[in-house]
Amino acid sequence: MDTVAILISKTVLYAVPLLLGALAGMFSERSGIINIALEGIMIVGSLFAGVFLSGAIINSALAENAPQLIVFITMIVSGLAGLIFSLLLAFAAIKLKANQVISGTALNIFAPAFSVLLIYALTYTGNSKIPFPDLINLNAEAFGIDSTNIADWVNTLLFKNLYLTTILSIVILIIAFTVLYKTKFGLRLRACGEHPQAADSVGINVIKMRYTGVAISGFLAGIGGFAFAMANGSVHQSDVLGYGFLALAVMIFGNWKPFRILFAALFFSFFKTIAVLASTISFLPTFGLIKVENLYKMLPYILTLVVLAFTSKKSRAPKAEGIPYDPGKR
Amino acid sequence: MLKDIKSPQVKKKRVISDKSLTFISALFAILAGLVMSFILLYILEATKAESNYALPVQVFNNFLTYAFKDTRSIIKVLYNAAPLILVGLSVGFAFKAGLFNIGATGQYTVAAFFSLVAVILWGFPWWAAILVAMITGGLWGFVPGYFKAKFNINEVITTIMLNWVALYFTKLLLYNLPELRTLPPGNRTDPIAYHNPTGLLPDLGLKELTGSSFINIGIIIAIVVAIIIYIVMNKTTFGFEIKACGHNKDASIYAGIKAKRTIVLTMIISGALAGIAGAVSFLAGTIQFTTDSVLLPMGFNGIPVALLAFSNPLGIVVSGVFIGYLYVGGQAFEGVYSSEVTNIILSVIIYFSAFALIVSQMIRRKLSNGNDDSGTGKGNIFKRIKEKTVSLFKKKEDVVENDEEEVTN
Repeated sequence: MDTVAILISKTVLYAVPLLLGALAGMFSERSGIINIALEGIMIVGSLFAGVFLSGAIINSALAENAPQLIVFITMIVSGLAGLIFSLLLAFAAIKLKANQVISGTALNIFAPAFSVLLIYALTYTGNSKIPFPDLINLNAEAFGIDSTNIADWVNTLLFKNLYLTTILSIVILIIAFTVLYKTKFGLRLRACGEHPQAADSVGINVIKMRYTGVAISGFLAGIGGFAFAMANGSVHQSDVLGYGFLALAVMIFGNWKPFRILFAALFFSFFKTIAVLASTISFLPTFGLIKVENLYKMLPYILTLVVLAFTSKKSRAPKAEGIPYDPGKR
Repeated sequence: MLKDIKSPQVKKKRVISDKSLTFISALFAILAGLVMSFILLYILEATKAESNYALPVQVFNNFLTYAFKDTRSIIKVLYNAAPLILVGLSVGFAFKAGLFNIGATGQYTVAAFFSLVAVILWGFPWWAAILVAMITGGLWGFVPGYFKAKFNINEVITTIMLNWVALYFTKLLLYNLPELRTLPPGNRTDPIAYHNPTGLLPDLGLKELTGSSFINIGIIIAIVVAIIIYIVMNKTTFGFEIKACGHNKDASIYAGIKAKRTIVLTMIISGALAGIAGAVSFLAGTIQFTTDSVLLPMGFNGIPVALLAFSNPLGIVVSGVFIGYLYVGGQAFEGVYSSEVTNIILSVIIYFSAFALIVSQMIRRKLSNGNDDSGTGKGNIFKRIKEKTVSLFKKKEDVVENDEEEVTN
């Protein structure tokens, strides 16, 4: 029972950064910009979350009394950091009509290097990590429940890996769906990703829409970076282990649609969790191999490839993604 | 459009030739990389409690001159350049076909691992190990190529996924092949010289002469491969088909080119090139394959190498040596800042090369066509750049070239 509880709670925990990252990618691609820089943006979000949390605020009275408020503010900070960083991509891709994949790659290389350098400048040690304080976990007591009164596995299932980001990511998902499908803005954004010239002809400012799409993307990916750092042992380590890229795959598997993305994120994080827990789960076969967890670590990536191959027929990417907007083309 | 059709006959005056334009934009990107990272170091210095503003200047000076300190440093530049040129060729070759091989690092990793297996376990000589590396790298490149051709899945996603598969796959094998590893802790491969000296890349007796263990024929292999790729690219039908696919896939299919086959072949060759890079790196006998779970950075470095040279195979030789020089210089940052500064410089270079050529072509079009071009870029920033470049290049107006760009595009 305990193993299952851990498996489920960890699956949800790892699904959050994937969900946020994939939603981030969705907003950008739906506006017509391929955002391969998700990885870098997530690193920057996680970095500034770490810098903010380890700052003076931790020792203040506010942190004692309302730790979740601090977590909320950190989410905003990491989101804003991601937003500002993503504008570099937007500027190159929209204003200068650069190759979107290449400029995104530049941001991906920049982010971890910048993180190491900044931490070095702040701490003067060779360390490239910022540990988060303990207060950010949501435990049973935060809901007014005495954890001694409930069964161990319930506590593990519900509260052991619960963070504010987990709850808010569901809110973000619903907001994302509403914005994209139920508002005028969402319709316009999607139009810019499908046929920007047509959108322009009915008076939509394509440039502005695309900037907004990338900015929303940066904000969500920044929060995703923070969520990843919390899931990965509450530490910023100048790396998000390819989650930004996985998020892109999740987005494609989710067919650029919010609720399918949720399903895809859970699917991948389940296999990711199995890989992480492989050495502790006793019923997994080892095939007589040493360090068999490396085999299970390959699984999410191989399954991604297989699933993409099988769903490729139904896959429908935004038509104009990756193509710089040229008003002269009709 | 009308202009495009009649352009082959009409000879227009070009203020700057295509070649010098790419050269200028590459220089611009490099300069931007150096200036931006210098500014960043300066800002970081200013945030310190006791700022020493002379330090960034001094460190940067060390960085730029580090590679010329002595013969050993120059040898090290060439040692770094060999795999850089080869991964650059890998990325550049795929670029020519319109494919972005961000998975060079995966192909590099798998190939490097199997070249070590070939040398240590199977007792292969170095040249046979390179062949093994080419085959494994090619196989790793085949998968994304096949997925692109068959299922139309973006090669960026598949190559990235395969990078991680390569990482864990080689780790799993390394853990399960105890004969390959050193004695406990056994977290790395055993030195090649200990098992099979013929597996090391030959040094032509220069190792004893120079006293540097970093000298070998790697750079010669890299240059020879670059020349071969240049010939394939520019003198063969296959090279033409690749470029046609890269320019316009639909048009190439219409012209009777088997685009799918070309894509798969391109990715196989690209993977094989990254594979040679892996073998050249590890058969030098100076580094060992470890069980660390990080993607090897060498594969990613192929991207700036290829971009700086605009995927020209011979240009890649130059840019590979240049980036090798940056990496050797990066040691100057160690202890003072962090050697990651080199990566910051590279990322800024990539960022600027992503649009340098487009922007400079735009400027040139405006310079040569006046106002008749309906092109974009109405922004003020371009007007300012234009005014400046006009005054800069007025002296160079004697350079007149045929209008080739519209034909090839």
